[in-house]
Amino acid sequence: MNRLEPLPDHVAAQLAARNVALSDVIICAQTDLSHAGAFGEAWLLVTAEALYVASGDSRGEERHEAGWRRLFSRGAATKTTNTNTNGVMRWELRDLRCIPLSALGEIKVDNLNGNGVLVAEVDGKPQLICRYSNTMARKFGQFARLANKIRKGEVLTERDFADDIYLPVCPTCGLLYPDPKRRVCPKCLDKRAVFMRVLSYLPKYKKEVGLILFFMFARSGLDIFAPYLSGRIFWDDVLTEGGRYYGRIWEIILAMAAVRFLGVIMGVMHGRITAVLVPKVVFDLKTQVFAAMQRLSLGFFASKETGTLMTRVSHDANNLQFFFHDGFPYFIVMATNLVGIVVVMLSMNWWLTLLVLVPTPFIVLFVTKVFPILWNAYSRRYRRAASLNALINDTLSGIRVVKAFGKEDTERERFAYRNFRVFQTNMELGFISSKLFPTLSLVMNCGGLMVWLIGGLQASNGVMTLGTLMTFIGYLGMLYQPLEWMTHIVDWWSSCMNSAQRIFEILDAKSDVPEKPNPVRLPEIAGRIELIDVSFGYEPNKPVLEHITLDIKPGEMIGVLGYSGAGKSTLVNLISRLYDVDEGVIKIDGVDVRDAAIADLRRQIGMVPQDTYLFAGSIAENVAYAKPDATREEIIEACKVAGAHDFIIKLPNGYDTMIGHHGQNLSGGERQRLSIARAILHNPRILILDEATASVDTETERAIQEGLERLVKGRTTIAIAHRLSTLRNADRLLVIDKGKVVEMGTHEELIALQGHYYNMLQKQKQALRIRGVEVSEHELAGRVS
Amino acid sequence: MSTNSLDGLAEYAQIRYLSPAECRFDLTAGGFLRLELGAESYDPVYVFRSFPLSLGDRYLSVRDDKNNEIGIIRDLAEFNLDQANLVRGELERRYFTPIIKKVHKMKEEFGYIYWEVETDRGARRFTTKGSHDCILPVGENRLMIIDVDGNRFEVTNYRELDTKSARLIETLM
Repeated sequence: MNRLEPLPDHVAAQLAARNVALSDVIICAQTDLSHAGAFGEAWLLVTAEALYVASGDSRGEERHEAGWRRLFSRGAATKTTNTNTNGVMRWELRDLRCIPLSALGEIKVDNLNGNGVLVAEVDGKPQLICRYSNTMARKFGQFARLANKIRKGEVLTERDFADDIYLPVCPTCGLLYPDPKRRVCPKCLDKRAVFMRVLSYLPKYKKEVGLILFFMFARSGLDIFAPYLSGRIFWDDVLTEGGRYYGRIWEIILAMAAVRFLGVIMGVMHGRITAVLVPKVVFDLKTQVFAAMQRLSLGFFASKETGTLMTRVSHDANNLQFFFHDGFPYFIVMATNLVGIVVVMLSMNWWLTLLVLVPTPFIVLFVTKVFPILWNAYSRRYRRAASLNALINDTLSGIRVVKAFGKEDTERERFAYRNFRVFQTNMELGFISSKLFPTLSLVMNCGGLMVWLIGGLQASNGVMTLGTLMTFIGYLGMLYQPLEWMTHIVDWWSSCMNSAQRIFEILDAKSDVPEKPNPVRLPEIAGRIELIDVSFGYEPNKPVLEHITLDIKPGEMIGVLGYSGAGKSTLVNLISRLYDVDEGVIKIDGVDVRDAAIADLRRQIGMVPQDTYLFAGSIAENVAYAKPDATREEIIEACKVAGAHDFIIKLPNGYDTMIGHHGQNLSGGERQRLSIARAILHNPRILILDEATASVDTETERAIQEGLERLVKGRTTIAIAHRLSTLRNADRLLVIDKGKVVEMGTHEELIALQGHYYNMLQKQKQALRIRGVEVSEHELAGRVS
Repeated sequence: MSTNSLDGLAEYAQIRYLSPAECRFDLTAGGFLRLELGAESYDPVYVFRSFPLSLGDRYLSVRDDKNNEIGIIRDLAEFNLDQANLVRGELERRYFTPIIKKVHKMKEEFGYIYWEVETDRGARRFTTKGSHDCILPVGENRLMIIDVDGNRFEVTNYRELDTKSARLIETLM
């Protein structure tokens, strides 16, 4: 019934009591801020006739939960913060304002600092409707948009409610997602399932894994055996009269040496095998991830920053490498050691063992509660040192300015201050650790002293042998030492599994532009392109293109004009099916692009993008990127047509010149021409020029233009440009504004219209005239008759 | 830099400084400010701070609804209390920053910090990123805290808060 936000029952009841027809409510929303700027709850409702503002007083603590994001949807996702619990009234209606929609003009939001206001025009003057904190900014943005639609009498559809009104939270636990675009909750992530999947990469390497486990356990066993040997056996059997090996000192020492030596051998073997296995597993994973990424549609990349993706491939893989290489084996060794030691100790003297374990919880508590103080100090030092480095960097790179204004002394003082802050934290860190570590070792020593005392008493009474006592003392260190590390294990485990999950997400991601099972093959495209009522947006509710209808004949050249953000590039992205349309159809040669074989489309649609991308490699390899089997002659001919041949020849290494990373630097125009040569060699039936010459000067453009003219002949061409002269050969011009086609026709027709195109032409003419150049319309449009 | 050239600067900049004598602010029915400036009248006007963090009520830019600057108020303290409070009401809205009086709870979990605080605008819970970017030091002991939604909170002097609150905040600094 009510949309945007559900109206809680107790609010609804109070509104009904004041004669608000709830069944007529189309949208409603809650705000958390009063007119005076105090936190408090109020409700806004819109019916077909009126806007209601219901303000009131809240009781109980639930009223300020709005900003505590994790509680927003604990339990059911639809549950709001002010649900009536246990029948207690949480909110009392105080004031009800009713404004007829007919009295209202445009409803707008004004997002201020830390809060925003909903404003409506009344007789051309703004009227404050309500205030809301930034937490609600998205919701009120939508509220205003929907309210305006209602005001204009439009009917709301499901699509109108598609956006999130709050930052997305995990529906299970209500925690905010660390990355709103990646809806994975680190808390609710099924780490076991992820872990099992990580392990599923191992069976390929059964032999290695088996060996690793063997060596690990063997080493563990030796580690545990060593103190037993030097304690129990050495003291009780060798040194004690009547012992099994009494007096055989040399042999026992040799045995001890052998145990140590074997331990080292096991360690080395284990290390060698993991050193080979782990990189292999990570190599497999990286290869799979990269292959998966190539398969995905452009939409996947647009929704993630390139940097984030790079992190995923390298950082996450490294994290996993660490997991296999250091973390996991170490954990197994530690765990086996702990269990083994406790078992051996229990078998020797169970109640002394329990005594030894007494300090353990204190150590764990100490490490988890007190150590964060130290970590905080460390991170404080890190940040202050970083700020100091930033200052050094700043001053040195800006040294010309510093000197020009004679500010050397000021900089010296600034440096001294920050340097002092670093010194302060260093000192603080010293103080903290000088207190912390002795305390910790005191706690550990307490356990040791306890063993010495009780064990000593027992040994002197003859209840316990001296050997048992020495073994216990040997085990003490081994027992406490891993505890600190163990306290980190939860964090570490979460972060590793999160990395693994991120990698699997890419492996599992589906392409947004899937190919049909039996696609229509288009071996030879004639080049007719039809757009029928096409609408598209990268995000729901934010259409970039609306209801575009267009028919391009084979071999025709269409020039597309419009201000930045008008939707020009989006249009060509749709035609080459980098994205799929939301509504409408795009047909090439009468076939819906969604039914056509993707390979056929890609092969016959070529694009020269604005930002040319050249890969690391030679010029020849770059030009032949789309046609690796091109002959040398073809490469030279393509470059000749693109106007690139002449500059390439002058380079010392000619076509063999390496470009890209650490390679030859080419100018923008030169890169553009290589990009065009690449497209020429690709020999597409449909050619898309997306501001192909925007980043070059007019002189270079003229040179490129000639290449382009030869290229476009006989092909369907769509050219996007800012400079009108670029489009001088276009058969028809298309002007796009705010996602809609506003004008279409030949140069003369559009001039006669005196509309957008005419205005653009005038503006470019004025810009030139300021510089003292007189140009005629024809010259400006570049149309040489 | 000679004093002479600076005298010329004011001439070129042509900033109109508004004196209390020529200004008359009042509230519109819609809840906004209106300004009568001698014979001129502006409805509505919006007031912006030039130095929101460091100077507060000084150097306020008064603008019309087309974002043209009408003039600058050098110091709101020069205005009589009624007039100044009208302007403060507008400023309060534009720079909504509750002042934290007490931190009840602060819990870090999975990269976010969940706060439970008492402010001068009432109790509030909010969430910030777990990194230190959420706290912006302004001067020696003054802090600006920005939550995940872009809400702003101020701690005027964390050393003057109660011990528990101060300690909780200190762990983040």
